[in-house]
Amino acid sequence: MASDASRKVVVHLRATGDAPILKQAKFKIAGTDKFSKVIDFLCRQIHRETVFVYVNTAFSPTPDELVNDLYHNFGIDGKLVVNYACSMAWG
Amino acid sequence: MEKEAQQFVWEGAIPLQVHLHDSEVTTLPPPSPALILAPRIGYLPLLCPQLKPFFSEALPPGVDTIWFEYKGLPLKWYIPIGVLFDLLCAEPERPWNLTVHFRGYPGHILIPCDGEDGVKWSYINSLKEAAYIIHGSSKNVMNMSHPDQVELWRSVMSGKLDTYNLISSKLKLGIIGDEFSGKLNPSPLKGQHSANDTEATAALKASRIPVRLYLWTVNEDFDDLEEAPHFDSWDQISYINRPVEFKTEGKYFTLLDAVKSILPELYPGSSNTMNTESKNEQKVEAEKESYPVIKLLRIQGIEPKMEIPFSWVVNNLMNPDYFLHICLYIKVPKPIGT
Repeated sequence: MASDASRKVVVHLRATGDAPILKQAKFKIAGTDKFSKVIDFLCRQIHRETVFVYVNTAFSPTPDELVNDLYHNFGIDGKLVVNYACSMAWG
Repeated sequence: MEKEAQQFVWEGAIPLQVHLHDSEVTTLPPPSPALILAPRIGYLPLLCPQLKPFFSEALPPGVDTIWFEYKGLPLKWYIPIGVLFDLLCAEPERPWNLTVHFRGYPGHILIPCDGEDGVKWSYINSLKEAAYIIHGSSKNVMNMSHPDQVELWRSVMSGKLDTYNLISSKLKLGIIGDEFSGKLNPSPLKGQHSANDTEATAALKASRIPVRLYLWTVNEDFDDLEEAPHFDSWDQISYINRPVEFKTEGKYFTLLDAVKSILPELYPGSSNTMNTESKNEQKVEAEKESYPVIKLLRIQGIEPKMEIPFSWVVNNLMNPDYFLHICLYIKVPKPIGT
């Protein structure tokens, strides 16, 4: 875990419901960044002030969590799958 | 014994003395502070129904959104109250003096909270996260019936451990067996609903324990916890969410082994393997300048010995969201990242 701390994590963004689909769905982010960076990026891309984000179509991590930790805990096939929606999708 | 310890955790409360922030006081004399007992496993916004009537006459007109600060640091509402206290009050302050605000929510620091519903959502969300770590799926939590979900949340809010154990056992998240008492006296989490013995045995072998670690690293030494500087920004605290891989076969796995496995950056060379020498290890480490020194490790207000079996810690001290929340102050020779 220590050796890959500086490695980048592939985040796969998937639109859910009526959320706009991104031209580029996969991007890389430093594992040491917080999840808030993913959320901010999404908000800018889809031009919304708020966005609902879910990992593995199940839960929403807090913005404080590190991308690395999320990747290790919930990553599938070498990437972190993040679903996003403009309204609450999975309560 | 086991149940008794869990009961203590559930009954644990922090005496708070809550002051209304000066900028929101519109009456003379200003309102006196509110004295309130806050459950350790509870969350700050849930105190609103008690605090709002107390301060309502002094408040300026406007829309209420409750938030709290301690010595200028806005408090994250989704962290359990007991964890905030353990983390931010190195030398426990009783009563704990907090400032409450009903206006001017610092949205750039805190995520929004829409009252009790928001807190419940956050709790269930955390439970799903824990379930995923334990089972590789959040299905059990997502498929929970609505009445069960409501009942589970109520049991957490009102500190009813029996109801909580009854409902949460349906989630089959009973994590690990205690090497000492587990087989003779199965934990209530696991015991009641294990359909057969093979399932119970399988659950004993290997598990991933969800841990939220709040880590403060310091380079300079201090002897007295009162000398520990207070936090003015959340950036001073690393928030680490890494599970502990737990195997019960072989030798016993201590709390120190668990900390080492979460922080390989600080303990290079140590892995998840069992360690028989952990008993004397910490003393030896404390003498070596190049090793990290644990200045404070606190879970549920307790500062357990590092050689305590990790299984006991998990079974007794975890929060109702199935995460073990650990507050750790550690002195390191060199600063680490994040």
